[in-house]
Formats: sequence, C-alpha cells, structure tokens
Amino acid sequence: MITPALEIHHLVKSYNDLPAVKDISFTIPRGEFFGFLGPNGAGKTSTINAIVGIGNFQKGSIHVFGHDVVADYREARRHVGLSPQEFNVDAFATVRDILDFVGGYFGMRKQERRERSDTLIELFGLQVHEKKQFRMLSGGFKRRVMLARALMHDPELLILDEPTAGVDVELRHELWRMLEKLNSEGKTILLTTHYLEEAQKLCTRIGIIFNGEIVALENKDALVKDGKTIEDHYLRHTQKRSIPND
Amino acid sequence: MQNFNLIGFYTFTRQEIHRFFRVGIQTLITPWISALLYILIFGEIVGRRIGMIHGVAYIDFVLPGLLMMNLMQASFSQTSSSLYFQRFLRHIEEVLTAPLSYLEIIGGYVIAGVVRGLMVGIGVYVLAFLFTITNINHIGLFVFYAISVSIIFSLLGLLVGLWANSFEHLAIPPTFVIMPLSFLGGLFNSLAMLPENMRKVVRLNPLFYFIDGMRYAMIGIQESDRRIGFLLIIGLVGVLTWLVWALFKRGYKVKI
Repeated sequence: MITPALEIHHLVKSYNDLPAVKDISFTIPRGEFFGFLGPNGAGKTSTINAIVGIGNFQKGSIHVFGHDVVADYREARRHVGLSPQEFNVDAFATVRDILDFVGGYFGMRKQERRERSDTLIELFGLQVHEKKQFRMLSGGFKRRVMLARALMHDPELLILDEPTAGVDVELRHELWRMLEKLNSEGKTILLTTHYLEEAQKLCTRIGIIFNGEIVALENKDALVKDGKTIEDHYLRHTQKRSIPND
Repeated sequence: MQNFNLIGFYTFTRQEIHRFFRVGIQTLITPWISALLYILIFGEIVGRRIGMIHGVAYIDFVLPGLLMMNLMQASFSQTSSSLYFQRFLRHIEEVLTAPLSYLEIIGGYVIAGVVRGLMVGIGVYVLAFLFTITNINHIGLFVFYAISVSIIFSLLGLLVGLWANSFEHLAIPPTFVIMPLSFLGGLFNSLAMLPENMRKVVRLNPLFYFIDGMRYAMIGIQESDRRIGFLLIIGLVGVLTWLVWALFKRGYKVKI
C-alpha cells in the first residue's frame, strides 16, 4: 500500500478550554488536490498549524508521508511547504534573502539555493523585486513570495492557506494555472479558500469543516453531478448547522 | 548527533548575526559609546583622584567590570529582542516549520548572542587603549569567562524573549537586574572597600563572580573563590540550556 501524503487521526485541538478541532480524521492520498473549506473560525488554520508544527494539539496523530509530525517532526517537515494565511516573514529581508534563508533551513547547498531561487523568482515574476525588502512589496507580490517560499525546498505536500486572498483577478487566474501545473507534476496540494469557485475549479476532493468537525468529505465530481455547485453543498452543510430549525 | 542539520543550523545562525549587523548603530556603536563615557568619567577623570587599588590604576581596575557588564547586556539584548520580535511578527513560524531541532534553533540564537557580546566586549577593550594599556594576564581564562558568561546571558535573553508580552518587558532585566547587580557586584569598587556585612551580601551576587573572574583574567586581582565561580557558570549553563530547550519543546508562547 502506498503511504498517503497526509493522514490525520482523531485530531483534537483546543485553546485553553475552547475546542477548535473536535476529533477529526481524514486522509489525503498522494497527488490529490484537496479543498479544505469552512467558515472563519471553523478549525482550518488550527488543523494546518498542527500539521506544519506551528501549533500544538492535545489528542490524535498526524502523519506526513508516513512521518509522525511530533515524534519524527524533522523528517515530516522536509515534505511540507506552507503558504500561510498571514505573512509570517522577516519584513526587512529582501525577496532573494527570504528564499535563500529558507532553502538553507532545509539543508540546501548554496549553489542549489541560488538555482532554485532563480527558477522561482522567474516563475512568480519577481525579477524586478528580488532585491526589495518584503515590506516594500504590494499585497499581490507578497502572496507570490509566500508561494515561492513554500516551494523553495520542492516539497511533495503543499499546504496553501487562502493563497489568493486579497489578490486581483488576473493574478488569481495566473496562480490557478500554476497550482494546476504543480498538481499535474505530482505535488499533493491542500488548499483552503473562501472562494468556492476556486475550490470547484481546482480541487478533486472537498472536505468541509464546521465548528471543528468534518461535516462533509466527498469527491468533487460527486458533489457537482446534479448541476449543483460546491457553494450549494457548502451552504447546505454550514447553514443547517448554524441556523436552528423552527 | 543524529541527523544534525548543519546547513540549516549555519543558515539560521548566520541570519541571526546578519540581523544585528543590520542595526549596527543600536547593537554595537551605542554600547561602545556608552562604555567610552564610563571609561572617561569613572576611569580617567574620577579615577585619577582615587589613585591605585590593589596596586593598579583605577581605570585598569574598573575596565574588566565595564567590559563584562557590556558583554552581558549585549548578549542578553541580542537573544531577547530577536526572539520577541520573531514571536511578535510571527516569523518564528518560518523556523518552526523547518527541519531544525530545538537545540539547533537555541544554538543559533546563542551563538549570535555570544558573537554580539564578544564584539561589544572586544570593542570596549580596544576603546580603553585610548586611556590605558591593560594587559590580559590569563588569555585562556579571559576567553572562558567572556564566552561562558555570554552563553548564560544569551540563554537568559531567550527566557525573557519567550516570556515577554510587551516591549516594556524586554527592558526590565537590563534595567532592574543586570545593571544594578553589576554595580553592586564590584564593578567600581574592591570588596575590601566594603564593611564585612556588605561583603557577605556581595558574595551572594552571581555577577560578582563573573566580574571578579574577568578581573583576575585581565589584571590578576581576585577577591572571590574561583571554584565557586566555575561551578556557578557550569551550573547556570546546564540549567538554563535545559529550561530553554524544555520550553521550546513544549512550544511555550511560540506555538499557537
């Protein structure tokens, strides 16, 4: 049996006594483009933080390509690239330095870092901005840097937490093309987004989390087969739980 | 060490050092100017009226303490402010998501703290040549005290960098701990100048052993039991390393 890209078993995460993720389990096979949807505060980012090592969790287990993210955290992290919702970067560092430092953290040698940075700077159209400090960039270019940073060590699992938030339509479509290409090249992608048409266009399977629980986990084709949209299903799952019936 | 991420460790350390060079006026020039004023006022102007202490000029007597105080403050400030800012601006997450062990992360911070402490300390020593020529009698001990005390204050800086919830918290230890304990730890005076009951109190001050050890290394004058100083230094390095490692492992205030 091929080891899945991501396995989450009975994950429980709470902040003090406030539960954020309530005993969720799901698996993402290699090569899948998985959409992880839910309203603000549903538990998406808490789950992602637990996967990548930014957040602790109380119960359950998470394996990335078979590596436990707690016991074997260093090996697990080598396989993951994260583009976070918020810009968690040294704002005074230049674009090239950001990529170079992260490549170094992942054990890449100088020549390898330089070549990889060149490739990503070109791929994301950052040539004019590579010597600028991160804080000097516009929101769209900051997003591109976050994506380039996530790809620096060529991870097999890419986690994108609202990667197109706040970017213009042209860039969003450009990023979609890039993500489709990365997925077709074999990268497993976990995407969270509030743009449901984005999830419908890109993802092969959808998980919906609401109030810390997985309320739907289905193939996209099954969801849209009757002419319905992801948005229809999303609203059905989230509204029936948030609006009490008479 | 199993699977030591040498390139990652080197990169993180280099980045930390690069960070304090980026604000060199604040991190290097300011303590040098401050130390120069101390040397000028207390060492040269006031010192001329005081004369000799234990057979050496007053400026030579205070220089080791001034060097040590600046070294401690520099190492402390490096790690505390760096870690706090990384927590505050959240780019600590860049390090947490990388395949670096907690000891590699702590090691990177501490080396940067030691480098900054040594640069400030050596700068103070060089500036003192404007007024006096102070030899280093025991170079091995000089290096030992400079590096080990830098490590201690770098680790203390990490503890405060983890604990702090505001910029104000970062200023508390230098203002209320390091400077007063340095002044009361024999920086400007010999133990022999104090009444007996005050000497007992001074001997409870850990910074007294650091300053006195450095003074012995530089000018050969010693008023403390060096064995206590060594034990204190080794004990503090061990306990603080374990404590910082345990807090990082737990994710105390660095993980959400």
